[in-house]
Amino acid sequence: MKFTISKEAFLDAIQQVQHVVSTRTTLAILSNVLLRVRDGSLELTTTDLDVGVSGSVSADVEDAGATTLPARRLATIVRELPAAEVEVSVDEKNVASIRSGPSFFKVNGLSSEEFPPLPKFDGAREFKIDQAVLRDCLRKTSYAISTDETRYVLNGILFSFKNNALTMVATDGRRLAMVEQEIEFPQSHETDFIVPTKAVNELSRLLGDSGTVAIRVTGSQVGFDLEGSFLVSKLIEGNYPNYRQVIPGEAKERIALERETLLRAVSRVSLLASEKSNSVKLQFSPGQVEIVASSPEIGEAREALAINYKGPAITIAFNPEFLMAPLRNLTADEVHLHLIDEISPGVLRTGSNFLYVLMPMRVNS
Amino acid sequence: MAMPAPRVIFHLDMDAFYASVEQRDHPEWRGRPVIVGSPPDRRGVVCAASYEARKFGVRSAMPSVTAGRLCPDGVFVRPRMDVYRDESKEIMRIVAGFAGELVQQVSVDEAYLEVTDRLPRAAEDTVAAHDAMLASAVPMAEEIKAAIRKERGLTATIGIAPNKLLAKIASSNFKPDGLTLVLESEKVRFLRPLPVGALHGVGKVTEQALHKAGIYSVADMQDFEGDLRPYVGSWAEDLRKMAFGDDDRPLDLGDDIKCISSENTFLKDTAHRPTLRQCLREQADEIAGRLQKRRLAARTVQVKVRYSDFTTLTRQISVEEPLADSAMIYRLSCWLLARHELVKRPLRLLGVGVSGMVDVVTWDTQLVLPLEFPRPPGTAPA
Repeated sequence: MKFTISKEAFLDAIQQVQHVVSTRTTLAILSNVLLRVRDGSLELTTTDLDVGVSGSVSADVEDAGATTLPARRLATIVRELPAAEVEVSVDEKNVASIRSGPSFFKVNGLSSEEFPPLPKFDGAREFKIDQAVLRDCLRKTSYAISTDETRYVLNGILFSFKNNALTMVATDGRRLAMVEQEIEFPQSHETDFIVPTKAVNELSRLLGDSGTVAIRVTGSQVGFDLEGSFLVSKLIEGNYPNYRQVIPGEAKERIALERETLLRAVSRVSLLASEKSNSVKLQFSPGQVEIVASSPEIGEAREALAINYKGPAITIAFNPEFLMAPLRNLTADEVHLHLIDEISPGVLRTGSNFLYVLMPMRVNS
Repeated sequence: MAMPAPRVIFHLDMDAFYASVEQRDHPEWRGRPVIVGSPPDRRGVVCAASYEARKFGVRSAMPSVTAGRLCPDGVFVRPRMDVYRDESKEIMRIVAGFAGELVQQVSVDEAYLEVTDRLPRAAEDTVAAHDAMLASAVPMAEEIKAAIRKERGLTATIGIAPNKLLAKIASSNFKPDGLTLVLESEKVRFLRPLPVGALHGVGKVTEQALHKAGIYSVADMQDFEGDLRPYVGSWAEDLRKMAFGDDDRPLDLGDDIKCISSENTFLKDTAHRPTLRQCLREQADEIAGRLQKRRLAARTVQVKVRYSDFTTLTRQISVEEPLADSAMIYRLSCWLLARHELVKRPLRLLGVGVSGMVDVVTWDTQLVLPLEFPRPPGTAPA
């Protein structure tokens, strides 16, 4: 196997796949990247057996073939190469010779036959969606994914394809982010599945501003075909909780707030929230909301924002991080906060397709 | 045989505490069924029910929806925990005026008082002298009740007995506004008609084991001539003592509780999942109850298993947010067992404990979404 490629293209391609490689693997082959060259292109693949990713890049192929090389080491070598062109040749013992300008590296690889193949998606259900749209949906939900490994069904994003819409949900049991996107697919394709966090992170990295992504799903695997790169992942087994039942129906107070202004104010005030009372209070009264944080051992912070509010005075406390997370990841200028009372969930909405349910904190002091 | 030194213990229990506070503060609700808890159209439970509401079958911990159905004209009131806590302090202040330091507050509305040293000492070490000493405590109990009624406008029930076991049974069986005296000479007869479940620490599992021995009432246990050990293991001796009204537990006056735990030795070693889940669920309930009574939350949950060969293993997990509810303790215990594959062999003993206590009063609590998690596929209902 032998090919020549531009250093920059090679480095980009390696960096696209190397995040999947686990640093703590017991199987040596999983530290390696599979390189396969044929028909003018180089295809790179990595996997940790849960998530796999592959991408291809054009290369000047002299001899077709395949091998695997240590992924991280290869990335650091290519990054440091002195010339714009790289020539790679691999012998039958999987020893790679990498030449670039005056430098020469010899790197021991492992046979491509040892590399676990990525799953196939023959006969899978397929859904198509714009890459930019899916990326936006991931951004609006992924921060709410639970990291509590004792609740593994929440360690990912629910993709629910129902009634010609894709609904994506993430929750950690204290807040829940949900986004809905209309897309077309045959009714027979309706399905629910949970994509694990690691795949969500890789996917966010791979999705671009243009083009479409084909989502293929079987009983236990999902594949995302991104025109040039491909991500596969095991699905999280188990049933997602019934999230619809925690979305409050009625809202007494619907309050319009400037997203950026609110985010900055909460961020400033939360500087004085203490560890014991990691909360900020939002005190609504006609015409204004005052954001307050205080802790006996540190001090107190307040900031008032003028808003269009005509309802009765109401005070509700939230964990500031949970309040700021959606504000940071949305783009709309205005958000709507729906409140019932101080112990019922608050709901943040923008447009018609995003909502965020946030449980308040009960303030004891 | 040397008799233990005679003691006089009061168990004081406020009557329908939360609901009574609400009725006192809202005269228009007096005589009406008051239900403290979530409104009947919301998810949530009943925290307390007034005696008027109990007539309709409304009980604490019942879903509010059910309570609403049983008692459609009930006055549903959101709990005012701060008010109850302050009220509790006032009541304990009154109680301390009579019993001094020797007060073990069990929860906001319940306390044991040791008044032995505040009474004239028994002239001799006889049952009759002990009885006289117990009887001499009645005026003090009446004064405590009167003081609470006068100063706080609330009624309390007091049980007077030679020990905690009997005092608690005495107060809980004769409410509201009760005053029950259990004499040393009467204690065996007093316990006879009660179900075995009335004894301290006898839960569903022990109860079922005792039923197998044909023991349903305390009388059955008193009259049982065989060996109880095949049914309840090493607990047999203590249980037998309790059945005869003997209990030498001192008042628990320590403020620092480092851990709370509950464990069960199975009658027969078992790996039967539903049995283990049921056991964990009861242990979690018990621990949660004890945490809530003390207004504590815990940061660490631990499980303990012992196999047939007496090998004992413990595994624990710590969480960021202190926890106090039963479901969470149960869930984490199940998770620990599964994660560490602890039930590959039958268990002789299973236990759950919590530690890393935090006073919930000083912590703001993040409320959680009422998500319902479906059972994982392939697991049987417990």
